[in-house]
Parts: sequence; structure tokens; C-alpha cells
Amino acid sequence: MNAGPSTSLTDPPATVNRRRILARTRLDFWLDALLLVAYTLAYSLGFTGLAVHEWLGIALGVVLLVHLTLHWDWVIRTTRKLLRRNGRERFIWLVNLLLLVSMTLCIASGILISEVALPQLGITVPASFFWRQVHDTTATITLILVPIHAALRWRWIVGMARRFAAWRPTRSR
Amino acid sequence: MKFLRHLTVVLLVVAVIAGLGMLWAHVSGGGTGIGHPRQAPPREVVLRLKQIRAGAIRVGSGNGVNLADTGDLIRTCVIEAALAALVITVSASWLRHRRMLRRTRGSG
Repeated sequence: MNAGPSTSLTDPPATVNRRRILARTRLDFWLDALLLVAYTLAYSLGFTGLAVHEWLGIALGVVLLVHLTLHWDWVIRTTRKLLRRNGRERFIWLVNLLLLVSMTLCIASGILISEVALPQLGITVPASFFWRQVHDTTATITLILVPIHAALRWRWIVGMARRFAAWRPTRSR
Repeated sequence: MKFLRHLTVVLLVVAVIAGLGMLWAHVSGGGTGIGHPRQAPPREVVLRLKQIRAGAIRVGSGNGVNLADTGDLIRTCVIEAALAALVITVSASWLRHRRMLRRTRGSG
């Protein structure tokens, strides 16, 4: 994947703006793809082992903060117009809110029950069955919500994938 | 600048959610145990320990990627794919239904 055409001082503002939007869309697409892959790996504890699971979970938390920050405009816009929006948009908003809460609690509880990552940093937290239960429950909830969250934007994903692959189906009349 | 402003708000929101979780743990008496009077471990903990000792639960499943154990990864992928397929199917049929409704209204 190339980094895209570079902007020059002679380019008209509309072109520069278009390139900026394209670069941002590309960043969103690849960051989201990375998050999905990382989440799938982090959830598969038997495959990754405990150390990779914990470090991947912490890294996932950091990238999720960036993901949420990049989409904060959407959060504000949709929340403000929540009552005026159609049912689908409201459903997406609700799924995203639930995912935010469950993902935050999942990562926070994961840090609190850490057996490898935190001790490696010299931090020890007393074992807690409560946080283990919270971690298990929220992990299951996120496993349900993550594919729903991604699939609700399937048209955008398909559109972007087609654009990046530079493949367009020929339309028959 | 805008990114930093938004990041601050996001961090605040995440801190509030984590704080509410801590409050929940404190209220239910299941936090880290600091500051609580010493009490017998919950029944679930005792049961889990017995299961670990009996070998029914595998703990500390290695510290690195175990490529031979792909069953867990495949299971996660299958669950995600099935749920995504379900949502896409429902969403596509809903969009088709809406488009048809709009067309009917437009021609009527």
C-alpha cells in the first residue's frame, strides 16, 4: 500500500482537502482492521498464551483510545441529534456505547488480574475473584459486540476495500 | 490540537467508566480486598482452586504463541464471522426493504 500522493504548494485547496480526507479514511480503515485482528488474537488466550494475551490487551487499550479519539466528532454529532436520527443510527450509537463500557471494564479488569504484564513492571495487585468474573463476562459481551460493531459499517468497509484494491465491478444495464 | 482536546475528553470518559467499575467492586465488596476485614474466600474461589488442583482447569497456558493450539483462534473467528454475517444479512434486507418502500412511495 503506497502512502498516497504528496501535497505540493501549487495544488488547489480542494485537492489538498480531498487528499487529506483520503489519507484520514485510509488511516481509519487500517487502524480498524488492526484493532479487529488484535482483538481476535487477544481473545484467543489458548493460542496466544498469557503473556501475549496481557500485553496485547494493554496495547489494544491504547489503540482503542486513539480509535475513539479519531471518531469523537461522530460521537458528539450523533449524541446531539440522537432523537432526530433514524432507528439504525440510534442502534449503532447504543451498540457503540455498550462496547465502550464493556471494553473499558474488560481491559481495566484484565489489568487488575494481570499475572505476567504487571508483575514484569514491578506492580503487584492482590488477586480478586470479582475482577476475574468481570473480565470473563465483559470479554464475552465484547465478543458479541465487536462483530456487530464492525458489521454495521459493512458498506463502508466494502467500499474502502474496493477502493484500496482499485477494483470496481462493471455495472450491467 | 483538536486531537489532544478530544483525547483528553476520551480519557476522562474512560476514567469515569473505570471509576464506576471500582465503585461497583467496592459496593459489592469484591474489590482488591484492601481495607476490608479478613473473611473466608467466596465459594466460587474455593471451587475454582479445587478444579485447578484436580487439573480440570488449565491455568498459565504458556507465555508465548502456541501455533499448535489454533482451535481457540478458529473458534473466535467462527463466532465473529457468524455474528457479522447475521448482522450484514439483516442490514442488507432492511436496506432493500427501505429502498422498495421509497420506490413505492415515489411512484404512488
